[in-house]
Amino acid sequence: MTVQQLIPLIIALPLLGAFINGTFGKQFSKALVGAIATTVMAISFLFTVLVFMQVQQGDAVSVKLFTMLKTDSFSLNAGFLADNLSVWMALIVTGIGTLIHLFSIGYMKNDPGFYKFFTYLNLFIFAMLILVLGSNYFLLFFGWEGVGICSYLLIGFWYGDFKNTLAARKAFIMNRIGDLGLLIGLFLLLAQFGTLEYNELAQKVLVEKLIPSDWMILGITLMLFIGAIGKSAQIPLFTWLPDAMAGPTPVSALIHAATMVTAGIFLTVRSNYLFEASHLTQDIMLYVGLATSIIAAFIAMRQNDIKKVLAYSTVSQLGMLFVALGMGAYTAAMFHVTTHAFFKALLFLGSGSVIHAMSDEQDIRKMGGLRKMIPITHATFLIGTLAISGFPLLSGFYSKDEIIAHAFTHGTWLYVALMASAALTAIYMFRLYFVTFFGSFRGTHEQEHHVHEGPVAMTLPLIVLAVLSVFGGLLNLPGVWLHKQAHWMTHLFEQNVAGFTALPKHAENPNLALILMVVAGAMSLLILLVTYLVYGKKGSLPVADEAVTGWEKLSKNKLYFDEIYNFLFVRPLEWLSLKITQFFEGIVLHRGVVGLGQVIGKSGDLVRKWQTGRTDSYLLWMVMGLVGLVVYYLIYKN
Amino acid sequence: MGHLLFILPICFALIVLFVPKNAVRFVGLLGGLTTLVITIGLICTYNSANGMHYFVKQDWIKGFGMTMHFGYDAISLLLLLLTAGLIPLILLSNYKNELASNRLFTSMVFFMQLGLAGVFVSLDGLWFYIFWEITLIPIYLIAYWFGAPERKAALLKFFIYTFVGSIAMLAAIIGLKSMAPSFAYMDLVNVALTDKTVAFWLMAGFFLAFAVKIPIFPFHTWQPDTYAKAPMAGTMLLSAIMLKMALYGIIRWLLPLFPEALETATYGIIVLAVIGVVYGAVIAIKQNDMKRLFAYASLSHVGLIAAGLFTATVDAISAGVLQMINHGLVALGLFLAVDVIERRLHTRSLSDLGGIAKQAPKFAFWFAALAFASVSVPFTSGFIGEFLLLKGIYNYDWIIGAVAGTTLILGAVYTFRAYQLSMYGPVNTAEFADLHWSEFVVFFIIMVIIVVLGVYPAAIIDFVKPSVSNLLELSSISTSLVK
Repeated sequence: MTVQQLIPLIIALPLLGAFINGTFGKQFSKALVGAIATTVMAISFLFTVLVFMQVQQGDAVSVKLFTMLKTDSFSLNAGFLADNLSVWMALIVTGIGTLIHLFSIGYMKNDPGFYKFFTYLNLFIFAMLILVLGSNYFLLFFGWEGVGICSYLLIGFWYGDFKNTLAARKAFIMNRIGDLGLLIGLFLLLAQFGTLEYNELAQKVLVEKLIPSDWMILGITLMLFIGAIGKSAQIPLFTWLPDAMAGPTPVSALIHAATMVTAGIFLTVRSNYLFEASHLTQDIMLYVGLATSIIAAFIAMRQNDIKKVLAYSTVSQLGMLFVALGMGAYTAAMFHVTTHAFFKALLFLGSGSVIHAMSDEQDIRKMGGLRKMIPITHATFLIGTLAISGFPLLSGFYSKDEIIAHAFTHGTWLYVALMASAALTAIYMFRLYFVTFFGSFRGTHEQEHHVHEGPVAMTLPLIVLAVLSVFGGLLNLPGVWLHKQAHWMTHLFEQNVAGFTALPKHAENPNLALILMVVAGAMSLLILLVTYLVYGKKGSLPVADEAVTGWEKLSKNKLYFDEIYNFLFVRPLEWLSLKITQFFEGIVLHRGVVGLGQVIGKSGDLVRKWQTGRTDSYLLWMVMGLVGLVVYYLIYKN
Repeated sequence: MGHLLFILPICFALIVLFVPKNAVRFVGLLGGLTTLVITIGLICTYNSANGMHYFVKQDWIKGFGMTMHFGYDAISLLLLLLTAGLIPLILLSNYKNELASNRLFTSMVFFMQLGLAGVFVSLDGLWFYIFWEITLIPIYLIAYWFGAPERKAALLKFFIYTFVGSIAMLAAIIGLKSMAPSFAYMDLVNVALTDKTVAFWLMAGFFLAFAVKIPIFPFHTWQPDTYAKAPMAGTMLLSAIMLKMALYGIIRWLLPLFPEALETATYGIIVLAVIGVVYGAVIAIKQNDMKRLFAYASLSHVGLIAAGLFTATVDAISAGVLQMINHGLVALGLFLAVDVIERRLHTRSLSDLGGIAKQAPKFAFWFAALAFASVSVPFTSGFIGEFLLLKGIYNYDWIIGAVAGTTLILGAVYTFRAYQLSMYGPVNTAEFADLHWSEFVVFFIIMVIIVVLGVYPAAIIDFVKPSVSNLLELSSISTSLVK
């Protein structure tokens, strides 16, 4: 089959799965529901691989389905663009998606909303594929909002607990703030270029050199970036992501770690030639990313909920990705997006496996000693932890190192800051790992009795992701290894993705690269050793919530971001709503109208006597009403 | 065939008064569907290349200047279709209520349909005014006969507001006629208003009538009270269809008649409309009564349409028409959702509700789908409509556009607050029967149309665009006459 035929199928399959399960799932057995949802994903993934093999070396392929809307000045098309960037993202989405669907069969097997869960999950994949494969910004926005809805539905999946639905609403609203920015960005693009098609835009900017004025390009890129901030949980719109952990754990793995939250990165990479034209936006992106990376890592230091630690870790890693994008290191960012999808999905699924084994306990202080009890989860979780901490030769080591190497050439201070963020990452991750899996079991007897490894549906995805986390680095080995496949991914994205070839290439200094790697690797090993001594050997435990003081208290309380936002935005808005209702709506407008009514009522009585059925008497009526109104106000006011 | 638009509602309004009580619902539905079929027939036979299609065009009372000009273009047809489509749905959604088998009520609904059809096809200033006023009678009576016990004050307010607006419009029509040979639409359009002050006041007359009915801030205070006190069917008629009369009035009358005056007034009007967008949304955030909440939400949504129409571009007006259809469907659906709750629990205050999703999962699904449609997510008709409207407003003035865009955020806040407080959380009620088939059918039809238009909005936009272009040419012709 040709790419033109495959692309619509890739997108339609998850929708079909959602439709079947959504309509008939209630009557189906759970096994059937899970099988349908996972099978459509697997086929979709296979097709994506086929497309990838065809597109990889050739030109980008665009598929036009139909015109959604045509106006005089522009048209909005339902069409898709398969180039190495979009297909690569689709590979991640469908590949990781398939694994997580499989995992969910085991994880959700006792949930009464089983069929609903898979409907939403399929629907999410559908929206996410539209987001990455769409041939224009409009479809991107289509998918962008679509994944937001699915995210809302899945965060609030267990709506029996009202807290979960609040978290869902928070996520949706914060995303919408970003969406507004993105929407304005699209308006600006339309006004400036008259098209939202990636191909045409790239043609206009790169070939015809129609670069708008500095202010315009700043506006466009800033607005796109605001959209990215919302979806990819950067400061100031990041507080929804940790709350989003209210959703079932597979959701956190799929949506809030591996795919949806990287949509902001994808948007920026997709628009790389626009961002290259505005250095101010790039700088803003760099600083926002850096601040997010460090602050989130700081908060993660003293979280005790296993999923919250991972959530802040995701925010922190996304921040690092934005630092990379701010430096123009697009391939490095995509590389890290890929490896991050592997190991973060692994860690989340691992945490899901832990939570499953612990009968829904999420507090690491009540775990401990799980190493021997759930060996597969332990081994894979360890691999994930090592990968994210930059343990030498694992995937995270290479991808993070590439960003850090870029930072070194960008400026020493940036290098130091990023290293600090990476160090914090390693510290909280090893802390998490040791407290959970080492020491003695601290849960109840019932829990201890119940601890068990999940079914194959759960362990298999863990193993696959663990393998990927180990070897993912091969995708873009640095040139210093002088390997034939060096920089495979860099070449991939230069092949047929608009904008990349136009970027200046960093001349790589092999010695420098090697030194940086050694430093980063040594740091990771050192932290491993120290955390092992503190949490593994000595068995230090996080203290009770009331006992924390100083910086630990700040970290534990998330730097009071929620409280500050509450004070600055939520409460003033509610206050305004109430006050307007009482004062303006109730007193000013209401009394004004009642007053008007009295006047008109009286003048009406008078006029009725003169009513002749002729239109001019109506006019008189109106004039008298108006005069009465004026008189009334004069009297009323004095 | 256009005559049937008048004849059918009159016939059914009368017939329904004399049929046995248990047949009223069926006759009502039959009448609604017949009109719908006729309207679809008109749409199928309409050729957009011909522009305005007059089905009656003759002089009438010569000395007075009143003519018999009735006709339609694509804009009128879509609004006729909206009316003809929503009225059976409104009747069906009240199927379980006693109201549906009430002869007077059903008769009044057809009476209303007559007035609405008249408004949408009148091409004579006086006829437009007459039909505009006619619609007031059935809605007033429906609210008066079947409304909540404490409805009188609210209705008085409603009456005063709309009455003042109507009188102002009548004055403006007469004033305009004094400069034209007749009340015929084209004659009025061709009046060259050289005096800016006169032009402004005449425009203001029309504007006041429309602003009250839409409503545009600060002419809206009748709305929440009236909505809250009217029976649900009345609220549906008011918000789903009646207020579209005023939006239609802006397109058909205000824009082509007063391009000169609007040159100066547009900015202020758009600002007011956008204030309404934010104002309604902010108030909706803390409302406890679901009906009031959606009334303010409606204020917010409609303000956006009005603001878009006043930018007077083909795209924005076409999107405005699409959004009118969308708003009609969504408003009907949301008020039905409130009614579903009120019928069963006899309350609609959020503080008394909770946990309905557990008891009535089907209802929860459809209500959620409508909530999403209301915040204009992709795959719903509101998405493209809102996109184009915001784009139009944004291109007009980017600050106003950005402010109007906050509806994206605030809309999500109040809609999901209402949904979650009523459907989730602790179960506060003993029993909640899931959807009756009639309710299900209404929800289903509404959502199908919303999704189809969400995926293929060109169906509406392409149909209406030639007429919108013609209309805007009219307004530019009369402007050029002045210059």
